[in-house]
Amino acid sequence: MNQTKLNKYSRSVSIIGVGCTPFMYTVDNEETNGLTEGELFGYAALKAMENAGIEPKDVDFYFHGEASPLNSSNYITPNMQVANWFGMKGKGSIHHSEACCTGYLALEQAVNAVASGKYNCMLSGCVEFGDSVCVENHPYKREKLEMGKFLETTKWIYDRCYTRQFMTGSTIVFDDAAQAYALKYHLTDQQIDDTLNHMSINNRRNAAKAPLALERREYADLAKEAGFDDVMDYMRSPYNPKMGDYLRVGGMELKCDGAAAVIVCATDMVEELTHGKVTPIEVLGIGSSALEGNTPHLEIEGTKEAIRQVYEVTGVKPDEIDLFYANDFIITSHLIAAEIAGYLSEGEGWKYVCEGRTAYDGDKPINTNGGRTSFGHAHAASGLADIYEAVMQMRNECGERQVKKLPKTTMLRGFGGGQNLAAIILRTKEL
Amino acid sequence: MSVKLEKIVKTYYDGLEEGKLLGRKCKRCGAIEFPPVYACNTCGCADTEWVEISGKAKMTSLIMPAVLSTRPENNDLMPYCFATVEIEEGAGVNAMVQGVSKKNRDELMAKLPVDVHAKIIQRGEVKTVIFELDEGE
Repeated sequence: MNQTKLNKYSRSVSIIGVGCTPFMYTVDNEETNGLTEGELFGYAALKAMENAGIEPKDVDFYFHGEASPLNSSNYITPNMQVANWFGMKGKGSIHHSEACCTGYLALEQAVNAVASGKYNCMLSGCVEFGDSVCVENHPYKREKLEMGKFLETTKWIYDRCYTRQFMTGSTIVFDDAAQAYALKYHLTDQQIDDTLNHMSINNRRNAAKAPLALERREYADLAKEAGFDDVMDYMRSPYNPKMGDYLRVGGMELKCDGAAAVIVCATDMVEELTHGKVTPIEVLGIGSSALEGNTPHLEIEGTKEAIRQVYEVTGVKPDEIDLFYANDFIITSHLIAAEIAGYLSEGEGWKYVCEGRTAYDGDKPINTNGGRTSFGHAHAASGLADIYEAVMQMRNECGERQVKKLPKTTMLRGFGGGQNLAAIILRTKEL
Repeated sequence: MSVKLEKIVKTYYDGLEEGKLLGRKCKRCGAIEFPPVYACNTCGCADTEWVEISGKAKMTSLIMPAVLSTRPENNDLMPYCFATVEIEEGAGVNAMVQGVSKKNRDELMAKLPVDVHAKIIQRGEVKTVIFELDEGE
């Protein structure tokens, strides 16, 4: 497979501000029904500026990410449709769209723009209405996007010339990584099933303590309500049915609505911009790969390449990673990505998962916000929501879900059904 | 030779109508691109030529259809699985493999890689390619 050797950034770039909306089903709740794209994106953007202690005039340019603007919002230039909402009218912007990897590459775009020297301070935000679509000709009403319709539209992220005709690329992805893992490390069907279930449980334990998360009811409580004494009996029951060959409902994304944003600036300008009030989080490097949907084991192979790149350019070693995030809209992702990164021991990670060591209070925390199966998946916004969580953890601002050891170095592995992969390394910058 | 603006996709589907599987062979390194595209993804060379693919292949993994992945319009193809397939000439694709059911899944999993062969079928207006277990598998 083709490989890329990254160069170091021309100048250091750091995150100084993060903002995130709750992840939610907007149309299901009277308080949120009627919220619009400008309101979500604008809220996340202004919260990120507030978090950095800067004003819109301090920001030079912004990126706007959205996975499916035409489908969910009837927009083809969505960066313009939110442009008046956060005090940056007249400043330049670009929209980008990389399906569920959009939010991770949103950071890549902003960092590159500052590292090049062209801009000093950037906003990068993402918004998605993953759970609803516009009501035609109405200024703010939306209606539910049913799962059947959603699955129908996901074909748009696959090549029409070949991949759709092979009738496999869009479906094998649900189970491919789980099977590859079970085969490689000789797990029985019961062992791999329990591993996936424990990942769902761990994610939910994390989300239970994350105020912005979509689903916060712990599986142990749901099991009791349903009359089960043992949560694993519940997880193996029809209450948590198999949707794929391996994948159960609890291991699937909760598609929803939300927005998140980040402010980055040249590290040597942090003091000047924030008046010393912010702990900067330096972006050490970002690796990336893209493998089209008919490529065998694309998530595994693309993850290997993205992580190889970022370790090579940063010189960071796996044992330096204190905290790990993976976009796990298919739950298996967080195990296989953490092992490829060397955060969990190869072939042993499933045991860490089953022992609860990857929950927020374990020694190898993963997805402390609850990941896609509990925090929720507002497709483009999810990556920046993970970056929001990582920064909050690195600043020791996560309250009762704060991990035991203050993380100094964090890796985030982005992945999209649209077949982009990214690996980001963040490190707390000592000024 | 520089790349030509050429209907690669249409030629591939025209080939299926004639019962042929077509790929592109790299003139520099010999790697095969299947399905066919302009340039070689192994060495990057844009000088490639048409080559007929034998259809012989190996299934290297298999996933059974389930609630999320079953499409009613494909019921006529059952029993099948979703698989990674490596063709004899070296390229890998994700593709359907016919002849796999819950009954023989475990036996086949234990035997991977398993011999399969390409099968051209009609889907809507065009023909497409799936694979089928070889006899005796």
